[in-house]
Amino acid sequence: MIIILYFIALLVAGLAAGIIGAMSGLGGGVVVIPVLTLLFGIPLEYAAGASLVATIATSSGAASAYVKDKLANIRIGMSLEVATTLGAIAGSLLAAYVYAHGISSYLFILFGVVLLVSLYPSFKKYRNARRKNEIRDWTTQLFQLSGSYYDKARKRVVRYSGSRWWLGEAVMAVAGLMSGLLGIGSGVLKVMGMDWGMRLPMKVTTATSNFMIGVTAATGSAIYWELGYIQPFIAAPVVVGILIGAYIGSILLDRTRGRNIRMLFLVVLGIVGIEMMLRGFGVA
Amino acid sequence: MNMNYAVSYVLMAGVIASLLLLTTGIILLFLNGGSNGFSISSISRTDTHINSSQFPVSAVLSGLSTYQGLDFILLGLMVLIATPVVRVLLSVLIFLYKRNWLYVAITLIVFIDLMVAVFVVPGLLVH
Repeated sequence: MIIILYFIALLVAGLAAGIIGAMSGLGGGVVVIPVLTLLFGIPLEYAAGASLVATIATSSGAASAYVKDKLANIRIGMSLEVATTLGAIAGSLLAAYVYAHGISSYLFILFGVVLLVSLYPSFKKYRNARRKNEIRDWTTQLFQLSGSYYDKARKRVVRYSGSRWWLGEAVMAVAGLMSGLLGIGSGVLKVMGMDWGMRLPMKVTTATSNFMIGVTAATGSAIYWELGYIQPFIAAPVVVGILIGAYIGSILLDRTRGRNIRMLFLVVLGIVGIEMMLRGFGVA
Repeated sequence: MNMNYAVSYVLMAGVIASLLLLTTGIILLFLNGGSNGFSISSISRTDTHINSSQFPVSAVLSGLSTYQGLDFILLGLMVLIATPVVRVLLSVLIFLYKRNWLYVAITLIVFIDLMVAVFVVPGLLVH
């Protein structure tokens, strides 16, 4: 009886993480890992394993819709996955080293730092949704970084082109590394690489990031599988919960115009980030 | 047929198949009060040593016929991990069809990276 309650608690944790992850724009993984470790006392490697496979589910579900709408650019996504997959291989091997040497406290600190840094663009987004001035360079031509999508709000087709492919690629290598090391999707970092690095429109950036996360996370998950970081009793409810939660979150996001609830989530996540760092330092 | 639709359907099908397998596995696990010779209390302990490393693909597939909950759950997770791999393979075909050779090469590199993660790296890890 107690076991079934524990299972339902894991399911609810995934559900909540999915909702908060979708509404804050940070993704479920970064939310569920602190819940599983700090609240449930689950070892970090099992929390990271459950989070990473759940990330594949939400990414594939969201990307399925974005690809149909042509918001996700398959060419740009594929070209950047070269770096994210290599980064993910390096990251999960590094994770294996850290866990084997019993120094996971460093990962708690890193996780807290990554979470706090991820919050920064979300706060900034309120101030200005600026228009980027497009620059074309040799990579625009060579890697065919152009495309178009139909903007439902403005009711017209938007044409765009990206540049500085090498800069995007460099940021993606770091995003892949963090994904494999911490068991997260690294969506915020991917968005930064395409938005700030390659100067792509925000809608294309978020959709393409979602499209890429699945491949990055699958790379890390395959290695996590062999390392034994995927615990079925934890992963199953977390995957199901986050997937349903992300779906609910995306609907709520469309309906709630107020920024207050999002702001509240961001503040809570900031506190969670500090908690994770304190845990790493052995204070909490 | 629109290429984007094909990619979209593959992703959706993978997620739904995985959800069905996970749900079936969870129900079986609780109905049987355990799986694969383990009791449910030992499977659910936070510090349990029962994890993915003991379940290679061949073992999981053979456990399905005897309705072992864990095997269904792990197959569901494998399907989830395989979904992006199938998506990348499909992208190779799409770029071949479009005769975009640069992107055929780029997509193949991503596919090789994935195969390295699935087959090569696990062989290098010492237990």
